[in-house]
Amino acid sequence: MILPKLRQAGKDALRNIWLFKARHLASLAVTALAFLTVGLFFSLANNLRLRADEASREAAVVFYLRPGLSAAESVLVAERIEAGALVARADLIDAESARKRFLSQFPDLEAVVQSLGRNPFPASIETTLRDPDAPTEAVQAFMAEIRGHPGVEDAVFNREGAERIRSIGRLAEAVGLGFGGLLILAAVVVISGVISLNIIARRDEIEILRLVGATKACVRGPYLLEGLLIGVLGSAIALVLTAAASRLFPAFAGGALGPIGELFGFRALSLPQALGLVAAGGGAGLLGSAFSLARLLKI
Amino acid sequence: MIELIHVWKQYHPPSWALSDVSLSIRDGELCFVTGPSGSGKTTLLKLLYREIGPTHGQILIGGTDIIRLPESRLHPLRRTIGVVFQDFRLMSRRRVFENVAVPLLVLGTPAKDLRRKVFIALRMVGLHHRIWDYPSALSSGEQQRVAIARAVVNNPRLLLADEPTGNLDPGLAGEIIALFEEIHRQGTTVVVCTHDRKLLENTKGRLFALHEGKLRRSRLR
Repeated sequence: MILPKLRQAGKDALRNIWLFKARHLASLAVTALAFLTVGLFFSLANNLRLRADEASREAAVVFYLRPGLSAAESVLVAERIEAGALVARADLIDAESARKRFLSQFPDLEAVVQSLGRNPFPASIETTLRDPDAPTEAVQAFMAEIRGHPGVEDAVFNREGAERIRSIGRLAEAVGLGFGGLLILAAVVVISGVISLNIIARRDEIEILRLVGATKACVRGPYLLEGLLIGVLGSAIALVLTAAASRLFPAFAGGALGPIGELFGFRALSLPQALGLVAAGGGAGLLGSAFSLARLLKI
Repeated sequence: MIELIHVWKQYHPPSWALSDVSLSIRDGELCFVTGPSGSGKTTLLKLLYREIGPTHGQILIGGTDIIRLPESRLHPLRRTIGVVFQDFRLMSRRRVFENVAVPLLVLGTPAKDLRRKVFIALRMVGLHHRIWDYPSALSSGEQQRVAIARAVVNNPRLLLADEPTGNLDPGLAGEIIALFEEIHRQGTTVVVCTHDRKLLENTKGRLFALHEGKLRRSRLR
């Protein structure tokens, strides 16, 4: 009994979509745009989160050495650091290596570096912690101890940078949800408008259905399905476009932007995120239909 | 058994569309309700399929007071009633098959059974060869016969027809009345409203005459 009714509701919904193609296409485009916005911001946040994780796995604390410190003294400081209980490894980066590394990452800035006349990059010792998640207080105590050494000028805890990147990621998610949410609201309004026009165009059919004993669900079903289909299809299109952006961005724009491109690139959505996006699309479609039905079908 | 007990209906005061109408129709009866335009025929039918409710009075169908039924429980009642309208009320964007199939679709009838029943109903009205046409391709008489096929496709206990011959020429009108007689012979209670007394000269059945909302006469022919 239920299966033929569901099949019929599905057929009616598809027939409606086919019958009023132009208006459905418009609502589909608005829905896809709304969910593409959310998808892209989430994809950006994913990339930032990944970069932050990478940063926290990389050299955890960097100790900058005083300019003019001899090589032998630098090695002594490095040995002192490596002896620390928290430290897995300490790599000595001399000033020249630091300059080369910078120029390999920012080749466009070579002229600027040359114009300074001297190497502006200090020698440093980059450490890797035994436990990347070691308590911040313990790491800071260790940093204070080493900072007291006369050969050490400054110390920077990389986790702070990673935390900053994570914060930007969270901000991207929030902006995506806020801005995307507004666009989704617009999509709900558009879907509701389209369903309303369909209800008005099919008033005669609804009247006949009522007279032959159709239940509320039987009359409303096709319109709810119609909204659901638009929402799911729109968010699925957005999902495909987001996936395409995460693949195409590194190939076309990522290289040109260098490290900034790596940081602010797109990363594919996770399965729960993708499913959530499509489910939210379906929800938006259903909501749009429900509004129209509540407004126009008082049966 | 259908019973109207002291039924009054008022749309706009002070005039009454129906005034103190009481009547009863037995199961399997063929009845005609006549009267000029505005006499209350359509109101009487609308009350029977609960499109509207009375201002006062009781309406019993099969012992159930249908006025007390909430909106959400009207569908079982309407599934036992077939209605034919003067303006046919066919769905212009749907083929004849789909128009006739509507009452079966809302019941969730399986596809095979549905096709068989639609074909039988269309054969009864002589339109099985137009099954895949759109209503716009049919003449008025054919459209009315499609509407009758839709009304009887799920074997209703009660068939109501509101001026079913109003848009047809006399020859076709006679054919439609003959169809109702045929449906009645198969055991369905049939109530036909018409203003055309001449049409009923050669028909058998109970006659109710309405005038300005009042039941004037009721007789068996």
